[in-house]
Amino acid sequence: MSTYFSRPDREEFGLCSHAMSVSEIIDFDDFSDIEIKKIAGYRKENNYELIIEMERIHLGFKFRGYVKGFTDEIEIFKFKRPDKLLVNNWQSWGPSKVIEKDFRLDFPDDLIQKFGFSVSIMPELYFDNLISDYYIASEHFLVGGLSSKVAHPYFQLDENEVSVKLRYFGIRFEQWQEIEPVVILFDDTDKVLPYYADLVAKENRVALSGKRLVGWSSWYQYFLDFDYEKMCTELENTRRRGYDVFQIDDAWEVDIGDWTPNSKFPSLEEVAAKIKEYGYVPGIWLAPFSVSETSTLFKEHPDWLVRGEDGNPRVAYENWNKRIYALDTTVPQALNWLANLFQNLKKCGFEYFKIDFLFAGAIQGKRLENVTPIQAYIQGITTIKKAVGDSFILGCGAPLLPSIGYVDGMRIGPDTAPYWDVSSSDIGYPNAYYSLRNALTRWFTNGIWWWNDPDCLMLRKSDTQLSDVQRELYTLTSLLLDNMIIQSDNLAYVMDDRLWSIVSEYRKYGRRKVHLSGIMSGQYNITSCGVDGCDSLFITDLEDCVFTYSKDTVDIELIKTVELKDDGRTFNYYNEK
Amino acid sequence: MMERRYNVLTDEWVMVSAFTQQRPTNPTTSCPLCVGGDEFSIPYDLASFDNRFPSMKVDAPEVESDSRLYKRARANGKCEVVVYTVEHNSAMSLMPTYQIEKLIKMWVDRYLELSLQPAIKYIFIFENRGAEVGATLSHPHGQLYAFPFLPKRIDAKMQSLTKYYDENKRCAICDVVENELATNERLIYENEGFIAFVPFYARWPYEVHVYPKRHISSLVEMNNSERSLLSKALKIVTMKYDLLFQQSFPYMMMLFQSPVNDVRYDHAFHFHIEFNPVKRDKNKIKWMASVETGTWAFINPKLPEEAAAELRSVEVVI
Repeated sequence: MSTYFSRPDREEFGLCSHAMSVSEIIDFDDFSDIEIKKIAGYRKENNYELIIEMERIHLGFKFRGYVKGFTDEIEIFKFKRPDKLLVNNWQSWGPSKVIEKDFRLDFPDDLIQKFGFSVSIMPELYFDNLISDYYIASEHFLVGGLSSKVAHPYFQLDENEVSVKLRYFGIRFEQWQEIEPVVILFDDTDKVLPYYADLVAKENRVALSGKRLVGWSSWYQYFLDFDYEKMCTELENTRRRGYDVFQIDDAWEVDIGDWTPNSKFPSLEEVAAKIKEYGYVPGIWLAPFSVSETSTLFKEHPDWLVRGEDGNPRVAYENWNKRIYALDTTVPQALNWLANLFQNLKKCGFEYFKIDFLFAGAIQGKRLENVTPIQAYIQGITTIKKAVGDSFILGCGAPLLPSIGYVDGMRIGPDTAPYWDVSSSDIGYPNAYYSLRNALTRWFTNGIWWWNDPDCLMLRKSDTQLSDVQRELYTLTSLLLDNMIIQSDNLAYVMDDRLWSIVSEYRKYGRRKVHLSGIMSGQYNITSCGVDGCDSLFITDLEDCVFTYSKDTVDIELIKTVELKDDGRTFNYYNEK
Repeated sequence: MMERRYNVLTDEWVMVSAFTQQRPTNPTTSCPLCVGGDEFSIPYDLASFDNRFPSMKVDAPEVESDSRLYKRARANGKCEVVVYTVEHNSAMSLMPTYQIEKLIKMWVDRYLELSLQPAIKYIFIFENRGAEVGATLSHPHGQLYAFPFLPKRIDAKMQSLTKYYDENKRCAICDVVENELATNERLIYENEGFIAFVPFYARWPYEVHVYPKRHISSLVEMNNSERSLLSKALKIVTMKYDLLFQQSFPYMMMLFQSPVNDVRYDHAFHFHIEFNPVKRDKNKIKWMASVETGTWAFINPKLPEEAAAELRSVEVVI
């Protein structure tokens, strides 16, 4: 029934390679403006026409343009490959890391089928090429796409060159279509990364909510072994911990695609009401673009699924020991179903939605409408956003750039785990070490694209292989980076209470101003400033958890009280402790 | 009525507010900022509160804008009154540096809290001291405007500083600090963290700028030791002003920070404070008149180096 891929190639996807050839390779360590200007202009290829305009901006150049005709992908320009590069994977779990010239992808063959499209929107290229999605940076410059609304901006690396490309997945534009803008920014990596993030946010008109949450999630304690009784026990144990949100994770549903409560839970209204009793925002997990082969949805609506070239539903990935297919978000009935699903969850009382495995909404394949996978994804995520209104959306397993502006929070690394394994493959598998590494290498998106979710803190001292120092480093990094803080523990266990008191202290006041330097060296130096001064965390060896944490000396402690007057005005009083 | 109107001649926004018109020129009875006055019924140390007569409000009314020529927008910002102390007869020059340090901490809190609102683009903290610059209350206080747009002069600073950065790969203010320390022509005070000086480009006769020696783009990035050093610098500058002509010296004090909800300028924009005093002599005022208002071009009647020498020679002990 399904189309599988193992090291698939382009032909299997019915796509042809006809990227335009750009012969000149720019060496960004030694170039003139004229070479940059040559990128701009009009180009006519066999199947399409392209106009590129160049604009000088602060720190570099911006390229905008238009394309018309049949387009699989376009190459904007090429540049000489520097020895050291920060590369990035397309979705939440994928690695964002620094590679040297001798880096080779080492992906276990036996996991290719299971991972499916989670590794790349272009699995036909991924395993035999070096790819960086959305942006790439050297020690002195960054090249990045500013949006992904229609095309997928990516970088293809060979030994000596990096090719800057926009993938359109074989689509015809009858009218001139604006291409995704691309920038080149010249300065130290640590300066250009936040600057790039802000340019992206402005391009996508991000208006980030101030809801930077602290909460509890069931996943990293109970995984699938979670039920209503355990939920109630945990709620009892949460008293005085100061959470904003309490979120039930995977375990409550009948099946992936059948988003009704299973026999372990009462009605969703009851679940949400119980959580609200304790004063928390009720949160719920689901994977809205995923459809399991065993689900009723799969059986009843095979026409709502993304199909392969053979016309059969295409497997997006495997999980839960099942094949998982992808919802075709261009089918109006499927979109209605999606809207109803989220409207009903909201009606039940949920106001925090952790939506997972989102990459499934952007896999390649045949859909009802002839749109790119990115356009299809955006139709899906827009529908969800409209349905939940101002409720909090936490994206996970999500294509990064297309999600900007639609989610409030975003997981920016692989699943954490109750272990720290520096020797396993860096492929997006659960691992506290790689999860924290990504929290560091993607730090610059926090508070600009969304609130970064570095994944859950596990503060329990038993039922875990994490050491005290690993727990401490995870907690301090998440706090100093001003990320979301979600705890996942059986609260009856003995906790590292010292760490929780640090969490409470840091979250007493609002936002922090953060800077991280050292991404390219791997020695991460975080400066994090708030009302009580500037604290720092210097991680000299992430693998072995060698770090120095320095807290600013606080001489003045002000207690703030807020009064809302009868005339609607707010008064903030500050008195010394 | 409260809205913003766009000036198509100058590419700038004007805030139009009927509320501010209701503002009294001077309180007729007791001080509203003292305990028992109109605003405070209970004792406090420091406070920041919504202005009773704002030109912007977070929940400002929606505005219809359907004209290409006459654009309108919501004035969805915030105007707060920032009270430095409960002591009515105090002033920055008279307060203990410890109180100024607390004030800085309150500024930081206001900045961080207001920056959580996505509509806010710029937080401008300032003080108008003295009737000569339009202050209506003598109780030591400043104000804070959280703008939903980048005001014109702020934008000019951003553009100028980013241009300098592009041309030199350096922060212009870092270079100014280096130069002032090297030449020592215009310095009036220096400590481990800050310099106070009459700038080469001063527009007002006794204009003084306070720059941190380290590159930071906002108040928030100062550590506690730097906050303490800034409180000393502010105290000394304002004391020197008061002692210069042996009178309560009127000034406009303005804190310039990089925009909020926007990190594009952080590397090029260097936090700084400007004191713009209106006196050109003990009994003479330098007015912001036609040339200054109409062209933004200033004629400074006082050589900055001479003003610096005068202020430097004013001895103060804290």
